[in-house]
Amino acid sequence: MAILRKLKEKLKKIIKENMPKKKALDISKESPKPVESKKQMLGTEELAIEKTKFSHPEVARMRRAMPQELPGEYGWDKIILQVRDPWWIHAYWEVRPQVFERLMHELGDEFYRCRRILRVYDVSQVIFNGHNAHKFFDIQINEHTNNWYIDTGGPGRSWCVDFGLLLPNGRFITIVRSNTVQTPLDGPSWITDEEWMIPEDMFARLYGMGFGLGRSSPVGKVWQERVKRALFSGVLASPGMGSSPVKKAKERKFWLVVDCELIVYGATEPDAKVTVQDREIKLRPDGTFTLRFALPDGKQVIPVKAVSSDNLEERTITPVVSRDTKVNSLVKA
Amino acid sequence: MRSLKMNKGYLCLVLHGHLPFVRHPEHEDFLEEDWLYEGITETYIPLISIFEKLVQDNIDFRLTMTLSPTLISMLSDPLLEERYIKHINRLIELSHREMERTAWQPHFQRLATMYLNQFCSVRDTFERYNRNLVNAFKKFQDLGKLEIITCGATHGYFPLMDVHRESVRAQVKVAVSHYESVFGRKPRGIWLPECGYQPGHDEILKEAGLRYFFTDSHGVLHGTPRPKYGVFAPIYCKGTGVACFARDLESSKQVWSSIEGYPGDHNYREFYRDIGFDLEYDYIRPYIHPDGVRINTGIKYYRITGEGNQKEPYVPEWAREKAAEHAGNFMFNRQRQVEFLYDFMHKKPIIVSPYDAELFGHWWYEGPQWLDFLIRKIACDQDEIRLITAYEYLEENPRNQVITPSLSSWGWKGYSEMWLQGSNDWIYRHLHAASQRMTELAKGFTNTDGLLRRALNQALRELLLAQSSDWAFIMGTGTHTSYALRRTKEHLLRFNRLYEDIKSNSLEEEWLSDIEYKDNIFPAIDYRVHQ
Repeated sequence: MAILRKLKEKLKKIIKENMPKKKALDISKESPKPVESKKQMLGTEELAIEKTKFSHPEVARMRRAMPQELPGEYGWDKIILQVRDPWWIHAYWEVRPQVFERLMHELGDEFYRCRRILRVYDVSQVIFNGHNAHKFFDIQINEHTNNWYIDTGGPGRSWCVDFGLLLPNGRFITIVRSNTVQTPLDGPSWITDEEWMIPEDMFARLYGMGFGLGRSSPVGKVWQERVKRALFSGVLASPGMGSSPVKKAKERKFWLVVDCELIVYGATEPDAKVTVQDREIKLRPDGTFTLRFALPDGKQVIPVKAVSSDNLEERTITPVVSRDTKVNSLVKA
Repeated sequence: MRSLKMNKGYLCLVLHGHLPFVRHPEHEDFLEEDWLYEGITETYIPLISIFEKLVQDNIDFRLTMTLSPTLISMLSDPLLEERYIKHINRLIELSHREMERTAWQPHFQRLATMYLNQFCSVRDTFERYNRNLVNAFKKFQDLGKLEIITCGATHGYFPLMDVHRESVRAQVKVAVSHYESVFGRKPRGIWLPECGYQPGHDEILKEAGLRYFFTDSHGVLHGTPRPKYGVFAPIYCKGTGVACFARDLESSKQVWSSIEGYPGDHNYREFYRDIGFDLEYDYIRPYIHPDGVRINTGIKYYRITGEGNQKEPYVPEWAREKAAEHAGNFMFNRQRQVEFLYDFMHKKPIIVSPYDAELFGHWWYEGPQWLDFLIRKIACDQDEIRLITAYEYLEENPRNQVITPSLSSWGWKGYSEMWLQGSNDWIYRHLHAASQRMTELAKGFTNTDGLLRRALNQALRELLLAQSSDWAFIMGTGTHTSYALRRTKEHLLRFNRLYEDIKSNSLEEEWLSDIEYKDNIFPAIDYRVHQ
């Protein structure tokens, strides 16, 4: 009971705290609350790494036709809510044109003075019947919008949204009502009651192993004592979590890379034996060959020796190549 | 040798292995299939080689690994296996040419030789398991070293399917029966795709016979009531008793943080310098994309070196030494953590360290070596910590607190924003419509055969494929999004047409056969699980 009272007080406090900021917020405005900075840091780093799993440049695959488009609507009236995080929920909806036509017919001229509204209800711990929400707030929507991010400002609460028309006289007509969603808490729960269990089959195994009951009764008692004594207020989390700045993509400065490779090629009788720098190489069927070397600075002496298949003739040609790389940089002020 | 001395805590290492289903028999060569080939060369086979040597050396170990149903399906697909052989043969050819080209640069020639040896041994291993690496992982599971857990059938992000729980159920049930057909027993645990937990989904896990799952830290820390032991003991979900183990952030950060994290060490291999981009165009052209676009080949010659663009050649011995040092550091930190927690909790803590498997070896080249050193050090050099699987832990510690975990994911910002933001939120309108229609079909057609049954099964395949969180993720990153867009639309359009053709009784067998041939995942699927 004490817990319930505590819960109620806490809820009241939360509601009070959040009351003044109930404004329709555009998606472009980011959530004002820092989302668990440590977690976020790690998350961002992981995201950058995770991306490398799909690390390929985009290939210009325009030639492969993109499939046709998905339907713009499915011909039903509904609004769906999903939770993005402890503060934000997302709504998307579809309403058939004939629904608006019917309303237009019913409301006459007044229809044109109506505003399209998302009415966001806080329905925490109630079975919502349209009238028993703790509170609600409205977001005005323009005619062509079909989805919206809603800043609820209320972690750990339940939400339901009506899409409808607000008449100039303050009357609200619900067109579609959403599912109910619950935002998660953004911190530890304030409920500290404990409940423990041993699954039936695992208990049965312990029991069968011979120290079942004997162990569970006295040890269990000691355990519970200890639980009571050791009730610590904080929740265990990893110690020593500092925040670390996220590595930014390196800035692309002006740059130049130059390297040299050397191609050595030639031809001889297809059945001759050829060595280059004393290493035997393979000839193509027509007796030609090509070798390609990364060419470092310095002098390369490259004897190419061919020996006829009958071993009676031998010829050597030795290109000598040297590379000397100079680097100059100039930065104009 | 397992020491007789009592340990003070447990370490549960989890590698989450997943790639989206990418298989295009209709194209000779398809760039995105490389994701799998890179995974095989750089991650899966290096891991398998480590397991082999550990078993050979009689080192006891416990490791938990997800193999997502899409990954299993690709690893055991004959077409992709054959294509992989072509891929690795091309790499071997390239490394031969590299050895020749670098004859006057001994630094680089040594590395070219290293790659040549590595690729050849990778090919040998691949052949040794009859080209199906699932056989290898199964072997280590059967030996009791590896606990393979399942995942969503196509890695759909469950919290954003919550309005149609039938889809969550289908993701879970298809995954579980697929697992059973592959491994010959039921899975005990599941990696919720993206670690995405929505309160209540444990009911579906329970129905499917799953005993445990993992969440990110705040999934348990922000649960109700407060978890007495934080993330250092599992909890049972209220109402279902399914166990939930939460990630320890400190050990995650040690591996991934760009500041304190290991992979940023200057001696490790630089991921962004690949000869596919560095070498002269005509030379490298046969080994990059047939369209002529430069891509990563996997041959990289430089070490991280430091900030800035000037990079020094990679020295494998230095990197290996660092990996050993980092493994020692990781173990040391876990020992201190366990000692601290043991005194505090009066109970043996379990530290859960999950990582994305593909980033070991692919992103962090020395990652598999690090893991090898870590496992060996834990087995031989200390008594405080013991490697354990989640299930073994539960057997030894069956009494745990009961709470309701909180909505959470391990994605950017910890909730659903990665998959629900301006660039990808439009997909849910269509995905949910398809889910609703799929339920309608499953309820409307309870007993079917022939063409109709095939069409209904294919409809579920298309829906599942459209649900892969990878597509929304890629759209969310904002780069190279066209493939993700294309896949989302393609599967949804196929689904929509199937739905309409089924409803109007106008199925065309030829078209159906064509998409069955293209999207051939889960041959034994039963559409009736979508209820």
